[in-house]
Amino acid sequence: MSNTARMIIVLTIAAILSGAILSVYNFYTYPKIQAHRQTELEKAIFEVIPDAEEYKKLELGEKVYYVGCTKKEKELGVAFLAEGNGFQGKISILVGMNMDMDTILAIKILEQVETPGLGTKIVDDPSNPEDRKWFTNQFKGLRALPEITYVKNEKPSKPGQIQAITGATISSRSVVEILNNAIKENREIFLKR
Amino acid sequence: MSSFKTSLAHEFTKGLWKENPVLRMLLGLCPTLAVTNSAVNGLSMGLAVIFTLTCSSTLISLIRNIVPKQVRIPTFIIVIATFVTVADRTLAAFFPTISKALGPYVPLIVVNCIILGRQEAFASKNPVHRAIIDALGMSIGFTLTLTILGMFRELLGAGSIFNLPIMPESFDTWLVMILPPGAFLALGLMIGIANWINSKLGIKS
Amino acid sequence: MEGKKTNKLEEKILYLSPSPHVKSGESVPRIMWTVVITLMPATIMGVYFFGIRALWVILVSIATAVITEASIQLMRRKKITVYNGSAVITGLLLALCLPPSIPYYAVIIGTFFGIAVGKHAFGGLGYNIFNPALIGRAFLQASFPVKMTTWTPTLLQQKCVDAVTTATPLGLFKFEKVTTPYVDLLWGNVGGCIGETCAIAIIAGGIILLVLRYADWRIPLSYLGTVAILGGIFWLINPEQYPDPLFHLLAGGLMLGAFFMATDMVTSPSTPLGSWIFGIGAGTLLIIIRLFGGLPEGVMYSIILMNSVTPLINMFTRPKILGEKK
Repeated sequence: MSNTARMIIVLTIAAILSGAILSVYNFYTYPKIQAHRQTELEKAIFEVIPDAEEYKKLELGEKVYYVGCTKKEKELGVAFLAEGNGFQGKISILVGMNMDMDTILAIKILEQVETPGLGTKIVDDPSNPEDRKWFTNQFKGLRALPEITYVKNEKPSKPGQIQAITGATISSRSVVEILNNAIKENREIFLKR
Repeated sequence: MSSFKTSLAHEFTKGLWKENPVLRMLLGLCPTLAVTNSAVNGLSMGLAVIFTLTCSSTLISLIRNIVPKQVRIPTFIIVIATFVTVADRTLAAFFPTISKALGPYVPLIVVNCIILGRQEAFASKNPVHRAIIDALGMSIGFTLTLTILGMFRELLGAGSIFNLPIMPESFDTWLVMILPPGAFLALGLMIGIANWINSKLGIKS
Repeated sequence: MEGKKTNKLEEKILYLSPSPHVKSGESVPRIMWTVVITLMPATIMGVYFFGIRALWVILVSIATAVITEASIQLMRRKKITVYNGSAVITGLLLALCLPPSIPYYAVIIGTFFGIAVGKHAFGGLGYNIFNPALIGRAFLQASFPVKMTTWTPTLLQQKCVDAVTTATPLGLFKFEKVTTPYVDLLWGNVGGCIGETCAIAIIAGGIILLVLRYADWRIPLSYLGTVAILGGIFWLINPEQYPDPLFHLLAGGLMLGAFFMATDMVTSPSTPLGSWIFGIGAGTLLIIIRLFGGLPEGVMYSIILMNSVTPLINMFTRPKILGEKK
């Protein structure tokens, strides 16, 4: 057998075997990985529309909305994705709002790459052990119109106002800006449905 | 027989210190710097490398006489990529949190020079039992280094080791240690200490 | 060439420019101690405004610097040279650019890091690429970002308002669009680092340094000039959004940085043209960071970044040897 033929045969066999092993393994693991993603999404949806028992997926153009409802199909609220830039990378937030889209029910930050120990306090603040999620909890029942504002180093006094995290003003401000932009954009699309 | 045993022992221990891939050969620095912000992440990355390197070395050593010289590198890469993908899918399916923390660095094991380096320098030239021992030594050396580095950075940067709080409440964490610059500082310090110990032991680099 | 120059430094004879060299009677200790003395006005004003705690921060920092330097030289079996004042300057400068409320352990960590990593890891005085005091500060900024940006009001301000924390003039402008009166900036009655608030005291010390030629006048001039011109352009474009040039000059650590940190002999260029480039580069970076960055202040990063290109600047601005062809 010539060397060239041998090279081709060996590489072909290696590639076929590799492909075969991987497709079998993928067939076995793919459902599990999908299931993780699905449960994560569902958990997030039920977290941002607190009383929902079921949800319906609604696609309007490129946007995807998840309408949360009770078992008797009473519509409780809508969840959608809000994305934008944080201090050093993308922050993506799942926002739950009432059906009129004027009040936030709750938010959940799905992904962020903020500075560990500082900007990450938007998700988890160990310096406040009683309520480590105090930052996102502030958005529960928050009036989102005309827009959300933030204050520093003092308790919020007006409706639609939240308190920024000391030392992580930029991350706090980013969350507020991302929400304001996304709510404005999605309100137009969703209320016209 | 005894010389055979000592040489096998040597194949194993050389990866732990004398030819430690990170501290002595400065290979695989990308994952070393990127994922060691906590002890758990360092250890998980190490375990993924132990799996990939041992499996790849075993297989490469078994087929070393079949593969023509000219296509050995593509063959190595196919083998390594297969095992890496298996490791990556396994983590994603069974350990989703670790998979999320390690992010793209598990798939990137494919291009980790330690793995290809061991195939080229050792597995493709040695019988299978020696290849396995060599792979285990090298990858365990890698894992130990990453775990210690992760422990050190986590201790100063978060006040804990393996998520167990070690430092007193009043300890103010050194944020920089779990940020990228902290990786460079800690690795530089570790390599410095290793070189210093070696100079005391009279081992030349 | 570089190696030769730095070797001479250890013998306490300073060559500031590339060959041809003219020998002068200046010695490292004399220069260093003069710098310490010219820093005294700023130090005294810092203690006056921020109280006895500021003095303790300064003393802790200096003591750590000296002890660290001496123990490293002892460990490396080198000649102990702490008496030449260079470690004292590092400790003093670092303390002057720290907030008065900084915990003592952070002062010790920062000074140790500045001397051990910023200076001796590179080989000691003359070999360091970066200003050791700034390296110490950068490490603290990255390690304890909250403590490094918590500012206490001056003792005078405390008499008028009952507040625990305040903001620096730069922070006030950046985040709340509040301007600070020039009188307060000149006199130093504002929140900020221990030694950076009183512009008059820094300028007084800085001018003595320039007159004695212990610092290259081109660096502060080009640094401050660039900041004033670029800051002025942006101010003319939109006075609502950007502060005026005088505010840029007086607020924050620019004066301290321009006179005492950018002019560090080891880490700044050794040719006249190089000094201009260094100052213009640092000024441009500062304006970019202050106006478009996330942080209100950028003196530290602007100088550190220019430190890193100093060897390159030296290489490109080296005077031609007589008869050399390109």
